Amino acid sequence: MSRNGTDRVVIVREAIDTATLAREVRADEDGAVATFDGCVRNHSHGRATLYLEYEAYEAMALAKMNEIAAQVHEKFSINRVAMVHRLGRLEIGETSVFIAVSSAHRAAAFDACRYAIDTLKKTVPIWKKEFFADGAVWADGELPFTPKEPGGPVPAETPAAKPASN
Amino acid sequence: MVVKVLYFGRLKELSGTTEEAVVLREGARIEDLFAACAAARPDLRKFRASLVAARNQEFAAWDTRVHEGDEIGFLPPVSGG
Repeated sequence: MSRNGTDRVVIVREAIDTATLAREVRADEDGAVATFDGCVRNHSHGRATLYLEYEAYEAMALAKMNEIAAQVHEKFSINRVAMVHRLGRLEIGETSVFIAVSSAHRAAAFDACRYAIDTLKKTVPIWKKEFFADGAVWADGELPFTPKEPGGPVPAETPAAKPASN
Repeated sequence: MVVKVLYFGRLKELSGTTEEAVVLREGARIEDLFAACAAARPDLRKFRASLVAARNQEFAAWDTRVHEGDEIGFLPPVSGG
């Protein structure tokens, strides 16, 4: 089983080449590649979105993304993970986050891909500002927390705050 | 002691800076640091309940003690993806 040495976990400021990532995550022993392509939609809470801007606590965000990749290897019988998040200004239809997981069989690839994007959205310090014709707002987010799962990696420190909503 | 404070998202806009150096007494906790930062910016205080703290790039409880040279981030609810 491949470990993080063949994973690709990065934060970029240019367009994400999803086709290349999906192709490169596959190896000959794989029978499945599951991908998640998160893209900019043209509306939010009933308003027409013009574009988005993403910013990050970049060093911590990259560390958290690598933690997620490591967790995915521990939890699921998968081969390789690609996880890329883009920062800066993104236009409608552009990819903001892309995750690809390869495995011998499809179930593990689907499950791992879902776990990776769900955990990224809860725990990785990245923020999105939505621009509308009449102003801009920081998107309602989730209070980050460190996932604590039986048998999973135990975080060194636990935040006092818990998710207030969602 | 001196610690580095980082602001992100709406906190960055409210505080008007991305980072600053703050002088604290020995033994201070992250909660004390936030109070010091918010003293000059009352608007920050109302976001306290919606924030989590990070110490040296790891999530940290508000009662965590800070040390000389620490990097403390105040993180609004995350919205990546």
